[in-house]
Amino acid sequence: MFTPFLHILVFPGFLFLVFAGLIAEYIDRKLYARLQNRVGPPFFQPLADFIKLTSKEDIVPEEANPRMFKAMPIFALTATVTAIFYIPLWSPKALYSFNGDLIVVMYLLTIPTLTYFLGGWYSTSLYSKIGAVRSLTQLFAYEVPLLMCILAPALLANTWSLSEMASFYENHSGYWLFNIIGFAVAIVALLGKLEKVPFDIPEAETEIVAGTFTEYSGRLFGIFRLSLDIEAIVGSSLIASVYLPFGFHLKPLAGFLLYMGKVLSIIAIMSLSRSIFARLRIDQMINFCWKYLSPLAFLQILICLIAKWGLYR
Amino acid sequence: MRIKDKIVKWSRIKSPWMLHFNTGACNACDIEIVAALTPRYDMERFGVMLKGTPRHADILLCSGPVTGQIKDRLKRIYDQMPQPKFVIAVGSCACSGGVFNGCYNVESGIDSVIPVSAYIPGCPAAPTAIIDGVVKLLASLEQREE
Ligand code: SF4
Repeated sequence: MFTPFLHILVFPGFLFLVFAGLIAEYIDRKLYARLQNRVGPPFFQPLADFIKLTSKEDIVPEEANPRMFKAMPIFALTATVTAIFYIPLWSPKALYSFNGDLIVVMYLLTIPTLTYFLGGWYSTSLYSKIGAVRSLTQLFAYEVPLLMCILAPALLANTWSLSEMASFYENHSGYWLFNIIGFAVAIVALLGKLEKVPFDIPEAETEIVAGTFTEYSGRLFGIFRLSLDIEAIVGSSLIASVYLPFGFHLKPLAGFLLYMGKVLSIIAIMSLSRSIFARLRIDQMINFCWKYLSPLAFLQILICLIAKWGLYR
Repeated sequence: MRIKDKIVKWSRIKSPWMLHFNTGACNACDIEIVAALTPRYDMERFGVMLKGTPRHADILLCSGPVTGQIKDRLKRIYDQMPQPKFVIAVGSCACSGGVFNGCYNVESGIDSVIPVSAYIPGCPAAPTAIIDGVVKLLASLEQREE
């Protein structure tokens, strides 16, 4: 009776994700600082930021649509937290699973981008409108390669359920090596999804103030930030479970540590890219995604089809 | 209730986000503010982040004697910041009008338009002085209301 609530609120639901998201933000910022040869923020920084934002005044602009403006952050948070229940974390079985949950997870991870769009659009400030339109434009660039390259391992495993995929790759060790290209494509696409450098075009603070979030303040902005952090964790968990499917049969504690290691190394790769690259223009990003990323994802699907044909013959 | 207030105050002191606004400075103070944010001085170790929008900022860093043109904009930006908010005047101009004091087109310092919480003198104020001023403002917050 109480276990579903426990799962949703504590583990691996809301509280765990908040905690992991804050840790991920700290690691991202600290690594970024160390790569720039500075000291960087102390370990409690993301927590302090979050508490401070929740205790600040909420301003809803007069022109904005108050209901949409206030609802959007909560939608973003709920969608990202829900997605974790279908992803196998450290055992090959996710908390809930059915055939086709792969697509559901992809949909749930798209909702935050839509809420950024709607939130920016309904705050009616010029800058947030530009940011909102950019985030939607960006969505059309990275979403296709991401979906294609996540579908490729599913084709090889012959299932549309993430849990069954995890157990398939666990039983056929070494098969995940077929999906290396997809792994690279997925990380680049995840950078676009999380609006991280070099794809932080929607919130480019040197051009359009803070993009979508320009008018958000206080608690609402805190929830948006939190949902971005959690989305980073959920997105990396998805990539870890699809492309690094090993070690699922370890003991719970060792499996958990391995899972955290996988997720944090994906986060580390993302902060490395943040310190290496500069921001692209929106047209460069679209060109890049359609000209290079999508063909690579397509190549990944071809590799998987050929491998499947060769292996099952 | 007490514990909650303490946590909130702690978080406020540990996470001051800044907005930099040039209120008519000769640009030297702005260069020093930007220098204070570079890796050499690294303000992020105090939790400082430079923000682009007044909605996210806690501290307004102003440099320059308020010119007639910028007076209304300064007021508007100050009003757009959510409570609790603080203003730091960076440079002699921002403190008192400095060399521009008495000119026909300037006010005499930020505090003739909006309330100021900390003054950082210097022409221009050195990055170390700016960091010192910010840390002193945060320390004064800790003592207040106790
Ligand atoms: S205090 Fe000096 S350096 Fe700063 S704005 Fe005024 S004149 Fe320029």
